[in-house]
Order: sequence, then C-alpha cells, then structure tokens
Amino acid sequence: MVAKHPVVLTSLGLGSCIGLVIYDDIAKVAGMSHIMLPNNHEDKDVKKLGKYADTAVPKLIEDLIALGALKSRLKAKMAGGAQMFSIPGKNSGSFLAIGERNIETTKKMLEKYGIPLVASDVGGNKGRSVEFYTDNWIMIVKVIGSEVKKL
Amino acid sequence: MEYDELGKLSPFHLDVIRETVNIGAGNAATALSQLLGSVVTMDVPKAELVSIYELTDRYASPTELVCAVYLRFEGEISGNMLWIMSEETAQELVNILVKKDLGDLLQDQIDQIADSLLVEVGNIVLSSFLNAISTMINCPLPVTVPAIAHDMLGAILDLLAAYYGMTGEVAIISETKLCVANNKNSLGGHVMLLPDPQSLSTLLSKLGVL
Repeated sequence: MVAKHPVVLTSLGLGSCIGLVIYDDIAKVAGMSHIMLPNNHEDKDVKKLGKYADTAVPKLIEDLIALGALKSRLKAKMAGGAQMFSIPGKNSGSFLAIGERNIETTKKMLEKYGIPLVASDVGGNKGRSVEFYTDNWIMIVKVIGSEVKKL
Repeated sequence: MEYDELGKLSPFHLDVIRETVNIGAGNAATALSQLLGSVVTMDVPKAELVSIYELTDRYASPTELVCAVYLRFEGEISGNMLWIMSEETAQELVNILVKKDLGDLLQDQIDQIADSLLVEVGNIVLSSFLNAISTMINCPLPVTVPAIAHDMLGAILDLLAAYYGMTGEVAIISETKLCVANNKNSLGGHVMLLPDPQSLSTLLSKLGVL
C-alpha cells in the first residue's frame, strides 16, 4: 500500500517475508510491500502483486509515482527474510531458506530499477516487526529479546 | 483434483480432514499424557481455508511470543506439522519433565537443555499424530528431524503464508488444541497438520472420499 505523509506503515511478525518500504521524502509519499516469495513464475491471477519480489518493486514504484513521487528521488529500506527453522543437513535450497532468496531477489530488483537501498536489517533467524514513520522516514525494527533498531 | 483447486475443497472434504485431525490428535494426546503422567484432553478440531494475506493475525496477536516445533513429512503424501504453544507453556513443560535442579548450570546451558527437551517432546507429539494417520491410510509418512523456534506467532505463521503462497492464495489450516488437565495454569498447545496442496488429492483418495 502507498500513502501520503503523515502515515505509519506497519508489518507485524515478519518471518521469512520482507517488509519493503520505498519513499520520496520531498513529495512526502511512502509505500510498503509485504513480500512473501522471490519470483512470480506463472501466477498471472495474483491479487496482490506485492506478494512476489519481482512484481512488488515495479508495482510500488508505479503507485508512488501516481501519488506524486519522482522516480529519481525514490529510496528504499527493508527488513525481514529470516530463516525461522533450521534442520541439520536440509537447509540450503529447501523452503526453510526462502527468506534468503527473498532478500537476494528484492535487492536485485531494487538495483534493476535504480532505487538505492539506504538501510536494511535482513537475514538471521529471528522474526521482526517493522514500523515506518513518514515524520522522519525512519524504519523501526523490533525483534523479541533484542534492542529496537532504527534504520 | 489439482492443487490449485485448494479453494474449491468442499465442506465435506474439510469435515473428513477435520476427522483425520481428530484421530491424529487423539494419538498425540495419549502420547503426551503418558509422557507427563497427567490427563490430556483435546478441543474440537478445526479444518479451514484461510487467505494467506490474513493468516498472520488470524489466531492471536502476531507479536505474541510462542514456542514452535516444526517437522516435515515426505512420503506419498507430504506436508508440514507444527506444534505451537505459549512460551509459558513451554517453560512449564520443561519444569515438569526436568526433575533435577539445573541451578548450577549457566543460563545458556539451561536453554539448550530446555530446547532439546522441547524438540523431543514435539517430536513425540507430532510423530504420534502422523503415526495414527499413517496407520489409518496404510501409507508410510517418513519425517524430517524436528526444529524449534521461540519467536513471534506472526513470524511463524508468515512462513506458512509463504509456503501456501507458492501454489495459490489460500492455506489449509487443520489443527486442534491439546490441554494438560489438573494443572493450575492452562497448559496446552496447538497441533497443526498442514498438508501440501499437491498431496491433498492423494490424502483424500486414501481416506476414501475422492
């Protein structure tokens, strides 16, 4: 979803998924996608393009521009992509490692569209809750048992 | 029936899956009861189709701290299983099962012992569940090594949303709650059977309803 300032964009309990925010702090607009999977191979009927990293990024950009953003001013912040469970010997390539692939593909897509990733907190094995404030364009990342991070 | 028709499962099929959970959970409750030496009861099972976009906040607050044991079964029928309990319940189970005073050990060591214990209990609960189903449909259901996480409920369910997201926009969640009786605190956990969409037709046909 995209919105004009003032707004708080949140995504609670992100595991392997990614909370991606793209914003323009001059036009004062921001949007967040909850990315679940890296690539949309053949799912043409998908209701939410934000589900896949490869469709979420262009969709966010398009919606932000429609709301008044300038593409050259867009910046991105993201958090998530954890691996919640580890099974010895069954990790690489398995579904449990989907978070890592979400991170890689999201980064690649941002690069492809020329959006600088100015801050991120990704990977690891802990879930995250994220809040993005258009007051200061800061992303707050909360992890159980750790200090709050400000990106 | 193809997997992309998950959303077209009939109420009758969901009833059959609910009954399957009933049988699996009954066996899991017996196993847990023998292990703990107390009565374990179970709730009426549920089997429902849930939008993957609503999954993370459907059951409780997504930021609630839970302990989850996960394993995967891969045979002719494949899928994932989860045992999710509150962190208090996990702690209480450890207290019941560890009779020895661990006071001398470092917190890290105590946590490791607790985790390996919970993984083992989870393994017993989830494997007993699957064994009952395996016997009923006469089909082996080999399991992976279990894994454990202590995290936000939303982050655990998020993985399921992504998993079912690979084949559609609907997840099948079948589960019931096991409750340990005669305890001042309400101890219990949700046991979830999460069949792969590609396996549903095989499962239903082995259950004789397809």
